[in-house]
Amino acid sequence: MTSPLFEIDALEVAVEDKQIVNRLSLTLQPGEVHAIMGPNGSGKSTLANSLMGHPRYTINGGDIRLEGESVVEMAPDERARLGLFLAFQYPTDIPGVSMINFLRRAMSARRGEEIPVREFRQVLNEVLGRLQIDEQFVRRYVNDGFSGGEKKRAEILQLGLLEPKVAVMDETDSGLDIDALRIVSEGINTFHSDDNAILLITHYQRILRYVQPDHVHVLIDGRIVESGDASLAEVLERDGYEPFMERTKEEVLTS
Amino acid sequence: MTQATLDAQSAESSDAEFKPDDLRDQVSALSRAKGEPDWLLAFRLASLEQALGMEWWTGQEESWRRTPQDRLPRRARVGHVAGGSNGTSISVPPHVFAPDAHAGMVHQIDGRVAASDLADEARAQGVIIKPLSVAAREHAGLIQEWLGAVGPPQDRYDAFGRALWTQGVFVYAPRGAVVDESLFYLITQDVARGDHWHYTLVVAERESQISLIDAGDANDRRAEIGETPLIHASVELIAEDGAKLQFASVQRWHRQTAAISTTRGRVGRDATIQVTTAAFGADLDKQRIDIDMSQNGGYADIRGLFVGDGNQHIEHVTRQHHKGVGATSDLLIRGVLTDESQAVQYGLIRIEPEGQKTNAHQTMRNLLLDDGAGADPIPMLEIEADDVKCSHAAAVGPVDPDQLFYLQARGIPPKVAERMVVRGFLAEIADGVPDEHMRDVIDELVEIQLEPAKGAS
Repeated sequence: MTSPLFEIDALEVAVEDKQIVNRLSLTLQPGEVHAIMGPNGSGKSTLANSLMGHPRYTINGGDIRLEGESVVEMAPDERARLGLFLAFQYPTDIPGVSMINFLRRAMSARRGEEIPVREFRQVLNEVLGRLQIDEQFVRRYVNDGFSGGEKKRAEILQLGLLEPKVAVMDETDSGLDIDALRIVSEGINTFHSDDNAILLITHYQRILRYVQPDHVHVLIDGRIVESGDASLAEVLERDGYEPFMERTKEEVLTS
Repeated sequence: MTQATLDAQSAESSDAEFKPDDLRDQVSALSRAKGEPDWLLAFRLASLEQALGMEWWTGQEESWRRTPQDRLPRRARVGHVAGGSNGTSISVPPHVFAPDAHAGMVHQIDGRVAASDLADEARAQGVIIKPLSVAAREHAGLIQEWLGAVGPPQDRYDAFGRALWTQGVFVYAPRGAVVDESLFYLITQDVARGDHWHYTLVVAERESQISLIDAGDANDRRAEIGETPLIHASVELIAEDGAKLQFASVQRWHRQTAAISTTRGRVGRDATIQVTTAAFGADLDKQRIDIDMSQNGGYADIRGLFVGDGNQHIEHVTRQHHKGVGATSDLLIRGVLTDESQAVQYGLIRIEPEGQKTNAHQTMRNLLLDDGAGADPIPMLEIEADDVKCSHAAAVGPVDPDQLFYLQARGIPPKVAERMVVRGFLAEIADGVPDEHMRDVIDELVEIQLEPAKGAS
């Protein structure tokens, strides 16, 4: 039997000795879209960043496997080269480094060899066109002075160029107006194929109207307390997180 | 043109001391050897007397307290001047600073002019770029008017600089002249020849626009030198009303050199002076930049960039001196320090009571890439006007881990990511250099300087 595309196995993550993610498990098969929904402080960003290997987060237990290979001991750049991608909630600005230089280096790193200029140009222009991003955009410094919408579009641009196997999208919908949300969602849908998988991490249900999830998980206090199909998102939209939070409290009290 | 060889040996009797009479004789001989007019000799000798009437720094002064006592010689020697005009005794390596395209240039080696030219278009507008001694003969009126016009010398190096210079350049844009491409002044340090004193005078008359790249490089970067060479550069920048003067200095002196510079700018009404300095070489580099904003509505953009390695000491002492109404000045210094290198920035914003509506800002940022490296940024404000906007910010720290993580998350290895962030950090300063080719050269030098096996370069 072949391994699942992406597995999070009983993962425990701490920030400065405080446990944030508690024995969280999740399996993504090729072609799947999973949504993790949770209120503020439920551990969404901790989960996203720790999957990518941010040095601020400590893995205290469990495993993360990409195509059966454990990545928890790998540096972020190794994970990225293997095909893991994180769309940042707050992309970092890097003044003085142009987008075009950065994108070319990132693509070359992902491929494991220098991408020829002509080919790079071709792929870049195609993805820019699809995302309705002006060509001048890539002359600017990485995320420097970008509006919220531009930053999110730049993340999707990278998603389109790097073609990862697994894309973790950390609150990609936050701060987007309705037009930008549609463009960004189309970008995700265009990227999505039977060979890759997407993990959408979000507070709100609205992006799920554009990107249809196969599975929805509710994250409370760093654990998945409920999983279901797309209809679970509608339940959340209607009732909020409150009922799930109440239930978690009771479980903690009785355990 | 024939230049006699001036024997510098006689002045090398002592490091800290000198015989005033010997210096007077040597300055006179130097001036005669260069065929200078009498008034220029008089200027040199008057400057020499001013210098002799001053004291060396002791280290007690506020702007000298952080300068290593034993690494900047307190010394005044007339430097060597190469003999003859039809050949030089040293070989010059392919010049890293060679301009790609330019409106004019002067290249000097040991006071000897190796090359000099000026594009027709600039010449037709009356633009001048000439060795200072030559300009003194051919444009006596202009030099007499402007040499030292920025004010009396501020300290002993500054005063000796005006007396002892063996090479210099005069750059001039008449009223309304506009030159898009940069002019270049290149100096090759002959590392076998000891001390050098340079003099750069740039005058932009009303409504003119001109830019000068002032670059210094050593002829032999691997040579072992017995004694620390002292290099002093006097730079005088004058932008008359409505003029725009851009000046960029890039130095890569030999690694054992003690380099000190005195850059003074005078910003006219609604004029702009932009100064960018980039420091890569020398054992000690102390740059003093003093901008006089006495006129209304002027703008000064002062930028400093450096990459320190080994045991280098890199220091910036700056003053933004506001007296005019509604003038603006920005100081932006960024440096990267590796190994055991150290940086100091001592920046003063001084606003006189009449300097209302002044905008003056300072930012000093130091990236430390190794544990042994250090930086000491000291912004100072002296404000006597009540309607001004001032700010200062100083930072010392490692590369932002979030920036590194972002690049790593895209597959870029940590060392490459760090290099990208550092080059980007400095590229923002280099954006102030008015010549694209030169910006590339600076980026290249940053890269070279950051190489782990850089000791021999």
